[in-house]
Amino acid sequence: MEIINLEGTEDTPKIILDKTNKIFEISGRSLPEDSAEFYQPVLSWLREYAKDPLPETIFDFKLEYFNTASSKLILDVLTALEEINNAKVHWYFYEEDEDMEEAGEEFSELVDVEFELKPY
Amino acid sequence: MSEEILKALTQLYAIITKQDGGVTDTERDFVITIFKEDLDQDSIKEYLALYDEFVGYGKEVEDEPDRKKLTSVKDSVKTLAICRKINKTLTQKQKVVVLIKLLELVGSDRNFSSQRMEIINTVSEVFNIVNEEYKLIESFILYTGEDRLDKEDLLIARKRADEELQFTKQLEVSISGELIFLKVRSVDMYFIRYLGQEEILLNGFAIKRGLTSHFSHGSTIKTPVGDALYYSDLVRHFLSEVESVSLSFVASDLQKQFPNGAFGLRDVNIAEGPGKLIGIMGASGAGKTTLLNVLSGIDMPTAGSIKINGVEFFSDESEKIKGVIGYVSQDDLLIEELTVYQNLYYNAKLCFADFSEEELEKRVMSTLANLGLDQRKDLRVGNALDKTISGGQRKRLNIALELIREPAVLFVDEPTSGLSSRDSENVIDLLKELSLKGKLIFVVIHQPSSDIYKMFDKMMIMDVGGFPIYYGPPVEAITYFKAATNQVGADKGQCPTCGNVNPEQIFNIIEAKVVDEYGEFTNKRKVNPTQWKELYDTTHKPEKVEEIHELPPRSLKIPTYLKQTLIFAKRDLLSKLSNKQYMLINLLEAPLLAIILAFLVRYKNSPDSLSYVFRFNENIPVYLMMAIIVALFMGLTVSAEEIIKDRKILKRESFLNLSWNSYLLSKVTILFALSAIQTILFTVIGNLILEIHGMTLTYWLVLFTISCTANVMGLNISSAFNSAVTVYILIPLLIIPQMVLSGLLFNFDKLNELVSTKGKVPVVADMMSSRWAYEAIAVRQFKDNEYESKFYDFEKDEFQADFKSSYWVKELKNRLNHVIENHKSTDDATAAKIRGNLELIKNELIDEAGTSVVNDIDLNIACDPTKFSTAIGLELSRYLEKLAQKYLDEYNLAVQKKEKLIYGLEKSFSYDLGDIKNQHYNESLADLVRNLSSKERIREFNGRLLQNVDPIFNVPKAPINSINYRTHFFAPVKFLFGATYDTYWFNLSVIWGMTLIMYLTLYFELLRKVIVAMEKVGSKFARKEKL
Repeated sequence: MEIINLEGTEDTPKIILDKTNKIFEISGRSLPEDSAEFYQPVLSWLREYAKDPLPETIFDFKLEYFNTASSKLILDVLTALEEINNAKVHWYFYEEDEDMEEAGEEFSELVDVEFELKPY
Repeated sequence: MSEEILKALTQLYAIITKQDGGVTDTERDFVITIFKEDLDQDSIKEYLALYDEFVGYGKEVEDEPDRKKLTSVKDSVKTLAICRKINKTLTQKQKVVVLIKLLELVGSDRNFSSQRMEIINTVSEVFNIVNEEYKLIESFILYTGEDRLDKEDLLIARKRADEELQFTKQLEVSISGELIFLKVRSVDMYFIRYLGQEEILLNGFAIKRGLTSHFSHGSTIKTPVGDALYYSDLVRHFLSEVESVSLSFVASDLQKQFPNGAFGLRDVNIAEGPGKLIGIMGASGAGKTTLLNVLSGIDMPTAGSIKINGVEFFSDESEKIKGVIGYVSQDDLLIEELTVYQNLYYNAKLCFADFSEEELEKRVMSTLANLGLDQRKDLRVGNALDKTISGGQRKRLNIALELIREPAVLFVDEPTSGLSSRDSENVIDLLKELSLKGKLIFVVIHQPSSDIYKMFDKMMIMDVGGFPIYYGPPVEAITYFKAATNQVGADKGQCPTCGNVNPEQIFNIIEAKVVDEYGEFTNKRKVNPTQWKELYDTTHKPEKVEEIHELPPRSLKIPTYLKQTLIFAKRDLLSKLSNKQYMLINLLEAPLLAIILAFLVRYKNSPDSLSYVFRFNENIPVYLMMAIIVALFMGLTVSAEEIIKDRKILKRESFLNLSWNSYLLSKVTILFALSAIQTILFTVIGNLILEIHGMTLTYWLVLFTISCTANVMGLNISSAFNSAVTVYILIPLLIIPQMVLSGLLFNFDKLNELVSTKGKVPVVADMMSSRWAYEAIAVRQFKDNEYESKFYDFEKDEFQADFKSSYWVKELKNRLNHVIENHKSTDDATAAKIRGNLELIKNELIDEAGTSVVNDIDLNIACDPTKFSTAIGLELSRYLEKLAQKYLDEYNLAVQKKEKLIYGLEKSFSYDLGDIKNQHYNESLADLVRNLSSKERIREFNGRLLQNVDPIFNVPKAPINSINYRTHFFAPVKFLFGATYDTYWFNLSVIWGMTLIMYLTLYFELLRKVIVAMEKVGSKFARKEKL
């Protein structure tokens, strides 16, 4: 599978989806102009990946901030992970960022994927 | 709304309002007004407290100038969680309402920051509301009247239309400001906002300026100057289909008087265009159904006219509007054995001859989908006792059957009776939708709920005696009647708090009774129907519609007669096949009867009593008759209910003008096929058990023929009577004469002299198919079985010659001797006897010789009593001697020939004549057809001698009159039109002829007409007696 590797900017997150090296990561700030369009390739990639996944998939979220529109798309990404066998989410948050911790907790209740909240 | 959802919504309001500078008092007040709609005072406090807590109302806003104000990620995810929760409980319609509330909330203080709008946008996305629709709703709510709003699903009502608007629909009304209507297409809901200073009333309540209200079914908007805008009128602007339908329905001065003189309708005037849903209400017996039947053209009005697009009903032109009208009766007119899909499919097939199979299927499926029946398409319809689909679904299927051919005017009789309130609402909702698509729909409705009542565009209220006492908008009916009786609150048609109307109120007012001095209600009404009518006529002017003269559209195209027959037959066959009980009984009936019958009459009957031999079975003649009766019975019972059962479907299809002949042919085809199967089963099994050899086809053809006659006979009674019970009571009346006059039970010569003709089959018996069948089968069995067929010709000569020589000549001689001895007597009695005898001798001899001069004796002279002499007597006597000798010679010759044949046959060693006879020849049947049980061999009748024995060998003389078909019973041949026919084929043809005649009476429904005429005479008679 091809690799998605997007460098992060002020408004968009850094995204790496690399099956060969087993790296699945979204990190940084997410407030793109059109979040639906921005996340579209990610969702398609995941749908494709779901057909033939690795024995274990660990998806890392290491976000500093996301806006409401992005939150919907992150939920879509998480929902896409539901379809992948043995997918796990590692939700990283800055130790003092309670909001991000709580957001992780909320997300973990909304989807049926194994969640691990990891402060850093 | 549940507490959980309310809490969720409260949070959502809080999340949105706390963005960007926090909640303002205006916004908080707005939240309070939202709470007020759903909550009582105590709960408002509780929820407001909750809201304040979430939003942080009253707390100091922390000043964080260095941090860019962004929605916290926690709030974002929280929003998602709330929306997911809402998605699980609220319907799409409710979600749209929630979305509108959110937009209004931010609109209340016009603080549309990007964070707030982003949240609402995300909410709408999670709610699965299409983006364009969201944008539409947003622009509708944010619209202030200053900018220009140009979108398709909007309508703006104001004083002057803005000509530059392309998409927004516009309406000119005299109000200040603007009234905006929004249609949310996906959920088919309408909302309104008013931007202006006046008091505009929506269902009697002032619309709050700027706020959005749901514009529900049946709503009315009143302007201060008193103009009214009705839901249906406004909604019509949003529908493009309506304009393309050109339709006018005008009924003027309709009157209907029943045969007993009572009025069913008086002075009914209706004028309507396309796209209206019109209710007809009234107390029971007020003439609602009568009105519907007259309007739909089922019944003819006594006076007045009905025109669709200028074409008058019951006129020469009425053919042009066939198929334009649909009628859904109160009863279910469905074929119970077929599935939902099949019911609709065959109906469609009969309507659209020019459709291909795919088009047809598409049409059926789309109709089913429209009515929400697509999930139920493979369920059997069943009946009230054997339910597979619900009452509402049945009703909808009934409507679907009419809708599929898209009639422009639809009449529906009490579609909600017996349905749950939800089903009722669904059905009326469906009708409403259809009316919005341009159909004109009349509905008789009984005790409608408030919601249903408001859905109608117009309501016609009938009073006892067929008086129309109100015709106009439904909610206004209530105010009209309230005002007419000076009731309090007359200006409000609906409940000020819940918006409900109570249609019962109308009838309470209409039928209010006068109270007597003891405070008891009397039977006298305060206002009688005539007064109501007069009041209505003085207060209301009849509306006019533009009469259209182009022909209404219709998609009906009826298939050819042959195709109709095939469709009918296929549909009928399918419904029969799916009725397992029916099929099982029908197919088992014949074999079972054959087994029972044949088993019982088979016994050890050979002379040594050790085995069964066909030849000695004395029961064969009776068995043959029973077989015929069984065939008759099966044929009758299987067909007797056919048309009665279909009558309701025929009633529905009468609007299609389908061919009655095709229908009947389809019935006949299926029944004949069934009869063929039944009779072949019976014959094969019966003949096998009784060891009747070589006659299967012979028997079957007779039994099949008789069964077919019975089928058509059954169809006749089935078409003439209206209940299955009557028909089954009638069956003995038809079967027993057939049994009595079959020729076996009672000798035709020994019947009442009023009906019998000696030596011939009585005419009454000739009308019985059983007699023809019995004769055919008995003659064939005797004459043409493998044994007798070899000897029949010789035996015929033998027995005829024997009869002539030993009985006939002898009888003539006796009579001649009596004449010779007594011809000189002067005694009157003797003279009469002599005359009789001479006449008989003359007739017989002329008939025998074929001429009046025999042996140089002129019989006319010789047998004249005045000229008779002993000499002539002796001469005749000699002639008779000669005849006797001639017949004796013939007899001897025949016997010789027969013996030679027997000798020849027995010589070929493989041939045992005794065996053949045992297997094929039945002694009892031989006794019967040779009439050997009769004591008299010869009889006198009408100056002739009749042969009483050996009818089967007695070849009748060709009649002089060529249409005289009559012979004695069991005659081996028949005559007609100067030709000779074998009895078997002749008789079968006679029965088929009967079948044909009965088919014609069926086609013209003669029996039904006779019965109707008799009933009319009967009822007239009864009335006279009453007077």
